[in-house]
Amino acid sequence: MSAHPPDSDEALAGRLRTELPRYAAPAHVRVALVEGTLPRARPAWLAPVLASAATVLVLGLVFLSLVPRIVPADPVERLVRSVVAEHTRALMWGARHPEVVPTALPWLTQESGIGLRRVFVGDDRLGFVGAEPVYLEGHRGIALHYRDGDGHLLTYIVLPIAGLPVPDRRRVQIEQGTNRWRPALMHDSGFSAWVWRQGDLACFLVSDMVSEVDVERFKDYFVRVRVSTDPVPAY
Amino acid sequence: MASDDFHRAALEHLDALYNFAMYLTRNPPEADDLVQETYLRAFRFSHRFQPGTHLRAWLFQILRNTFLTFYRLRERESALAEDGVPTWDVPMFHDAPEESSGAVEAHTDLERALRRLPEEFRTVLLLAEVEGMALEDVARVLACPVGTVKSRIFRAKERLRGLLRDYTKE
Repeated sequence: MSAHPPDSDEALAGRLRTELPRYAAPAHVRVALVEGTLPRARPAWLAPVLASAATVLVLGLVFLSLVPRIVPADPVERLVRSVVAEHTRALMWGARHPEVVPTALPWLTQESGIGLRRVFVGDDRLGFVGAEPVYLEGHRGIALHYRDGDGHLLTYIVLPIAGLPVPDRRRVQIEQGTNRWRPALMHDSGFSAWVWRQGDLACFLVSDMVSEVDVERFKDYFVRVRVSTDPVPAY
Repeated sequence: MASDDFHRAALEHLDALYNFAMYLTRNPPEADDLVQETYLRAFRFSHRFQPGTHLRAWLFQILRNTFLTFYRLRERESALAEDGVPTWDVPMFHDAPEESSGAVEAHTDLERALRRLPEEFRTVLLLAEVEGMALEDVARVLACPVGTVKSRIFRAKERLRGLLRDYTKE
């Protein structure tokens, strides 16, 4: 006979202790916890090796930032890269000081040091967009922007660099009527650039026309600009 | 306490924690997850455990908090009474019929009645009477004063008796 009434707190507590089934943790839970949480002994050599690898990685990253940017050794390639950068800037953001020649010619000449005795102001194929002075590779110069009917932007840049060594192996023969030219066709960052000398000036015509068909059209644009433009040093 | 020692000491309470998890969730897969989550948290925050205090109570506290966070709060929308215990008529998650798949069937009236208690009542009875935990430790697990623990035990037993009487009449 129980010492407590069957309905008492003590009796109820006793029933809870004795009558309720107890659930033991399944083996897979125990194994998962033991294997997954108890740390395994690490090889003694692991810590110094990891520390060394981390140090080398950090030092590598530090020195990487000190390595100078790789720039082309060839002066023409370096100039082409700068000209292309100027073209892409105009392509992305437009001209900084778009001016419509000839009204702005005196100002452009004063700012760029380049005079234009004649200038190509566009035709049925190429529309004139604007003109602005530029400063590339330590040289003041002038940039004229055009756009063709398909939306290709062309940038014509003149820099006062005498004796530019135009690479012979890149030269392309262009003939139209009685005119014959041999500018070099160079490429950089997915853009094409005609490079030629005109007196004591270096001239560039940049566009994104790179395919064979486009290059033929690019030749035509070169002729149009080349025939109609006569840049000279202003001073 | 060294990490390995702490892990081993904590794992000694695995069965007790699993039993508690089973009565909270009524579902073995959920109890598995709950216990494993409890240990993961305990090991992750082992630096917060104060040596000299009861590791057992600390683990039960983590398990219950985990249960409330992931298993119960999402289903609980009713308001609580002043002592944190819902009123009798408020439908609760733990009063819901045991329709969920995988739920373990209750074999005795006592177990069935215990399952029908609100979690706050079920927990105090499991900790104080089944696990034999001191009232101070139960208060720590529940994060409430010892007086509240006593009050809940009294009310829990009252309600348990009522349910058992109903089963007897049936």
